[in-house]
Amino acid sequence: MLLVKLQSVLAYTFIWGSIYLLISLGFSLICGVLRIFHLGYGVIFVLAAYGTWAFLDAGLGLIPSILAMFLLQVLVALLVFYKGIFQRYLDREEILLTLTMLVFMAVTHMANYFYPITAGVNLPTTIIDGTFKLGAVRISYQMLLAALMGVAVTVSLILFFLKTRLGLIIRAMSQSTQASLLLGADINKMYYLAMILSIIPPIICTLMIAPFWSIDPHMGASLLMTAMLIAILGGLGNLKGSIIASYLIGFIHAAVSFLYVSRFMGFAALIITLIVMIFKRGGLFAGETIW
Amino acid sequence: MKKRFCLISAVMVLILTFTMTSSVYAFKWPWERDEKVGNVREMVEGPIKIGFMGNLSSPFSLSSRGAAQMAVDEMNAAGGIMGKQVELIIEDTKGEIPKCVEIYKKLVMVDKVLAVIIAEKVEMSAAGMEIGAELFPEFPHLFFSTIGSGDVIWHRVRDNYDKYKFGFQTYYAISTHYLEKFSGMFTDIYKNTMGVKKVALIYEDMEWTQPLRKGIPGVSPRLAEVYEKAGLEVVYETTLSLDQKMFNSVFEEVAASGADVIDCVIGYIDQASFIKQWEQSSARDTQWIIWGGLAGMPPIWKMTGGKVLGGMVGSSMVAVNITPKTIPFMVNLYTKYKVGPIFGSHTTYDTLFGFKKALETGKTLVDVDTIIKSLETIEEVAVLGTIGWNAEKHYNLPSPKYVTPIVQWKKDGKMYVIYPEQYQQKPYESPVNIRK
Repeated sequence: MLLVKLQSVLAYTFIWGSIYLLISLGFSLICGVLRIFHLGYGVIFVLAAYGTWAFLDAGLGLIPSILAMFLLQVLVALLVFYKGIFQRYLDREEILLTLTMLVFMAVTHMANYFYPITAGVNLPTTIIDGTFKLGAVRISYQMLLAALMGVAVTVSLILFFLKTRLGLIIRAMSQSTQASLLLGADINKMYYLAMILSIIPPIICTLMIAPFWSIDPHMGASLLMTAMLIAILGGLGNLKGSIIASYLIGFIHAAVSFLYVSRFMGFAALIITLIVMIFKRGGLFAGETIW
Repeated sequence: MKKRFCLISAVMVLILTFTMTSSVYAFKWPWERDEKVGNVREMVEGPIKIGFMGNLSSPFSLSSRGAAQMAVDEMNAAGGIMGKQVELIIEDTKGEIPKCVEIYKKLVMVDKVLAVIIAEKVEMSAAGMEIGAELFPEFPHLFFSTIGSGDVIWHRVRDNYDKYKFGFQTYYAISTHYLEKFSGMFTDIYKNTMGVKKVALIYEDMEWTQPLRKGIPGVSPRLAEVYEKAGLEVVYETTLSLDQKMFNSVFEEVAASGADVIDCVIGYIDQASFIKQWEQSSARDTQWIIWGGLAGMPPIWKMTGGKVLGGMVGSSMVAVNITPKTIPFMVNLYTKYKVGPIFGSHTTYDTLFGFKKALETGKTLVDVDTIIKSLETIEEVAVLGTIGWNAEKHYNLPSPKYVTPIVQWKKDGKMYVIYPEQYQQKPYESPVNIRK
């Protein structure tokens, strides 16, 4: 029995950890590059779900709806968040935090107005239905695919940062914007790129988890909290930290729920984060760089 | 200077004299005078005013508002109450307690309504009831809480009848009745309808489930004990956190426990995630019954992409002829008022017709004490059975008077009543059979 439980802990540490990674990567990216705490990050999840649904509702197919939603997200990220808020108030943190939060709340209310819970919103994004057994553990195919997608997106981002010129510039900017400017980096362009990159993991996440996660207008809040928790635990804006923190939270959740009781999984993760923060101020990988 | 001092002194003496005499003779300004008489005159002369309060951003209150408007329209079309038209004054609390208190005062003191309905979570009703109790001696009125099973409303009436006698509660069941009524109902379903014995109990971590989870020492046992006593075997028990999103471990443990049925004492957790993950777990062949909430509403089929198939839930959102009022209520609410029947709509509608009957039986539109006595004794045909209130505690008469049908989701994406037997629309099928 204990062996089965340990297998479950192992399997779900990987699955949940990878999903949490998808949830938090974009948040960490913005923290790392723009050095801001993006309280409007939850908008991406809400728009991913409700944007896709709205286009589906308008008669588009699934793939065109996803593409249209992606374009909408790019516009919101660049025009509303970057041009409208970040660029204007980068040095006024209190205004920046308030405005991003307000945009988040407005979008949530708009989703609730057009598609309240009674509208029955659901995304038909199941890739493989059903379950399979891995040793003694039963796993849903869709959950596993979401986890694998989390790994794939993370690896792609890491390769981008480590192996490409653009990635190098962004890493340099995360170390020192002034120095990068002096060396000729087009900061504005790089910020645009970072904003677009930051919306990709949460969009993929929403589409992948929809078959086993509820879609409701307020879903952004809980996902934002998860992203924040992981980013804080890992060290704000550090991708290495986010990866470690995601799997650590995944492990805590899996261990508590399979070995003790699932009700305390969230609480346990908060306590561990608090303890880490007491002994390691700034999180596991506190630093000024994205990688 | 001396003259001025004398003048001021004289004015002060006059003010003092006025203040003292006014307290002795209970002086009142013109606008304070004869408030009750004013109220009574308005009640006799104008339409019968009823205040409706709810969080008009929430589906529950919106549905209740539609139901309240429908009840008032139907009453007026049939000649009103004792020949007088009824006016519904609708107010939005936005789900905020201070706003609720402010609106309650406005409805009673300015609009001079005869009754206030709060169709919102029970915490809001408790706040309204408190301000209502303060206003009641000066502004006699009635108060109805039509959403929420919390015991805080009727406990007030039980503990201080004179102060809170104006308050009445209508819901499917109050928390206290869950153990008393629902456990018997579910035992009957498990043993006789489904023919199973092993039960897994899943609670949500909320106030209303606490007496069921832990029992009340010296008052009531735990739900598990009640089931065991009735011959069922409780093989698994757990409690879920309200913000929980991942339920994989719970379903794996349920499957390992060998349970025949999952008894879900839940109403507020994320039911869409819960159902989606059940369908993709080792427990997908184990029947679940959810006590209430989203799983008993039509949108859940779309929300879960049909994964709710085979699930059972306590729901009043199904068109079954419990009384001659049931089907017309459902149809009219959809077609004329453009809202679906959700929790609270039936109870609001039934409350208003119970109120009408109380006025007619008491033969008064102004004597609130007589109306209260009348409400304590009347019974009226309702959408979900019979509406009437307990004379001492003012909760509505529970099952079998007020019925909560147990439904099962079938392949056509609709809910069908499987219990109680007299309202059964389709027989029970296990999730395995229903998927075939």
